[in-house]
Amino acid sequence: MEKLKDALDFSDFSKAERIGLVIFSVFLFAFPWIGAGSFTTTVMIQFLLFSLFGMGWNTIGGYGGQVELGKAQYVGIGSYTVALMMVWWKVPFWVSMPIGILIAVGYSFIIGYPLFRLKGHYFAIATICTSLVLKDIFDNWNLVGAAKGIELPIHDHPDFLYMQFKSDTYYYYFIMALFYIALFYMNWFRKSKLGYQLRMIKDDEDAAESLGIDIRWCKIKAYSIASAFVAVGGGFMAVYNLYIDPASTMELSLSIKIALMAMLGGAASLWGPIIGAAFLVPLDRFLGSWLGGQKGLTGIDFMIYAALIMIVSAYQPRGIWGIIEQFRKRGH
Amino acid sequence: MLIADALLQGILMGLLFALVSLGLTVIFGVMDIVNFAHGEFLMLGMYSVYWANLFFHIDPLIALPVSAVVGVLLGLASYYCFIKYLLRGPAIAQLFGTFGLMLFLQYFAMFLFSADYRMIDKGLLVGKSLSVGPFIFDWTKLAAGILSLIAFAVVYYFLHKTKTGKALQATSLNKEAASYMGIRTDRMNAIAWAIGGGTVGMAGGLLVNFYYAYPMVGILFVMIAFACVALGGFGSIKGVFFAGLLVGILEMIFPVFGHLIGSDFLGPHFKFTVVYLAYFIIVVVRPQGLFGWKN
Repeated sequence: MEKLKDALDFSDFSKAERIGLVIFSVFLFAFPWIGAGSFTTTVMIQFLLFSLFGMGWNTIGGYGGQVELGKAQYVGIGSYTVALMMVWWKVPFWVSMPIGILIAVGYSFIIGYPLFRLKGHYFAIATICTSLVLKDIFDNWNLVGAAKGIELPIHDHPDFLYMQFKSDTYYYYFIMALFYIALFYMNWFRKSKLGYQLRMIKDDEDAAESLGIDIRWCKIKAYSIASAFVAVGGGFMAVYNLYIDPASTMELSLSIKIALMAMLGGAASLWGPIIGAAFLVPLDRFLGSWLGGQKGLTGIDFMIYAALIMIVSAYQPRGIWGIIEQFRKRGH
Repeated sequence: MLIADALLQGILMGLLFALVSLGLTVIFGVMDIVNFAHGEFLMLGMYSVYWANLFFHIDPLIALPVSAVVGVLLGLASYYCFIKYLLRGPAIAQLFGTFGLMLFLQYFAMFLFSADYRMIDKGLLVGKSLSVGPFIFDWTKLAAGILSLIAFAVVYYFLHKTKTGKALQATSLNKEAASYMGIRTDRMNAIAWAIGGGTVGMAGGLLVNFYYAYPMVGILFVMIAFACVALGGFGSIKGVFFAGLLVGILEMIFPVFGHLIGSDFLGPHFKFTVVYLAYFIIVVVRPQGLFGWKN
């Protein structure tokens, strides 16, 4: 009960932030009735999905300060569990998604135990390596469709058990619900014991250790929480896209995008991943559809995207939220 | 027999891998930064030789200095225009920054040259092979191995015998102490990037003789280079040489083992998986690498 209260309690934020949250929530609820086109709805769903990913990454990457660049493997685990169980045994989404989360968490413990012996660059590259190994395996494993991927069976009628709907609006509300669960969870998380321990570890590992914090165990816990978040998103991706392959679920660029959105928005803040996703997902999508398709301009969308990453990391490593806070401090 | 052949081929590839990884380890040693864009320097080195060959009909071997110069310029440009500013930020921003550079160069190449796979089809050595007893070597690979060895030796000599090289090593041992001795850190950083870019650019020039050039080719080689650098010990130059050889042999011999056992699962698809796994195991079990002194 206490935890629930903590999760719903936003009172330590400034008034402007709380008003912003309310306006944003009203917008989210009302969005399907605005009558936006299907493209915009897709972008909104992507935005919510990546906010979910980013919030997960924020536990280990933001609060814990570990440069984690292998989240895509958990997207893969989540989506493959849902897809394979549905194809092989017709297991409903609501059963297979929790199983996917369990597998992801179990796997993250196995991987995390050796992984968190490492620090800094070593750690960052090792996370990439583990993700690429998993992708290579799935790319060549015929039982799970290899590089061709798997198609999910399409039902004739909308089916809540298998999360198959005719309209994107249902998917939109579903991912929105997940988004709010994640948001409340993160609001609790940042005030939890683990949250404080992680921030301590980020600031000074030696000091944290001398205070009796088990650094490695804390990191592993945060890592598995992050993996669970990402696996949920992966499960959603499977039922939403109805088709998954290693390239779309386990690619290195997906890992990078997840971490990047959180960092661009502002790591270690509750709003950071949301702001980052709100900025990057539409940019990515609109640049892609305007510029990417035009002849002779292939790649220019990603060039702009990359230039943005470079500028932000060179001039404002604390992200967009860092800029906003700077202005606010100047205002007072 | 099969194994002996794979061993020799692996050594040739390993020499090239060592040259690719050399710049990464120098840069890491001097300024503690991991350059994700390293593979893209390689890619642009490959393209520079390719275009020199296509438009000016310069033989790929003679065009080699072009790729080295392109690499040096690229290294210097990225240092002065970008990396310098990145150094002020935290480590995470540095990682993302060089990652951004990597993406930028990848898509810049795609924008300019399209995503086509390109390969040199005419040149002094292209398509010719040398048979020594039962072994057959491609001349291109042989040249790549030997020239890599020479380039590595030159850089090794430069770092250990010349004054600038010694200053560079001093900076990588202890940046602050070096700056008290009157060594200009900023200049050393720039030199490290020039060496890094130059060697990897040249490696690209050698590689394009027998490997496709395409915008995304870098990521594969940068992962191999990471494995070599980790195996040799981050910042160790002697280490990266032997690590390069080892990775080269590993990558060649692994599919042979798979073939001998008759297992499909150990096929050539997985030869780079082995490299990734090797990296993971090395850094976990022995984080300082084989010859490392930084931890």
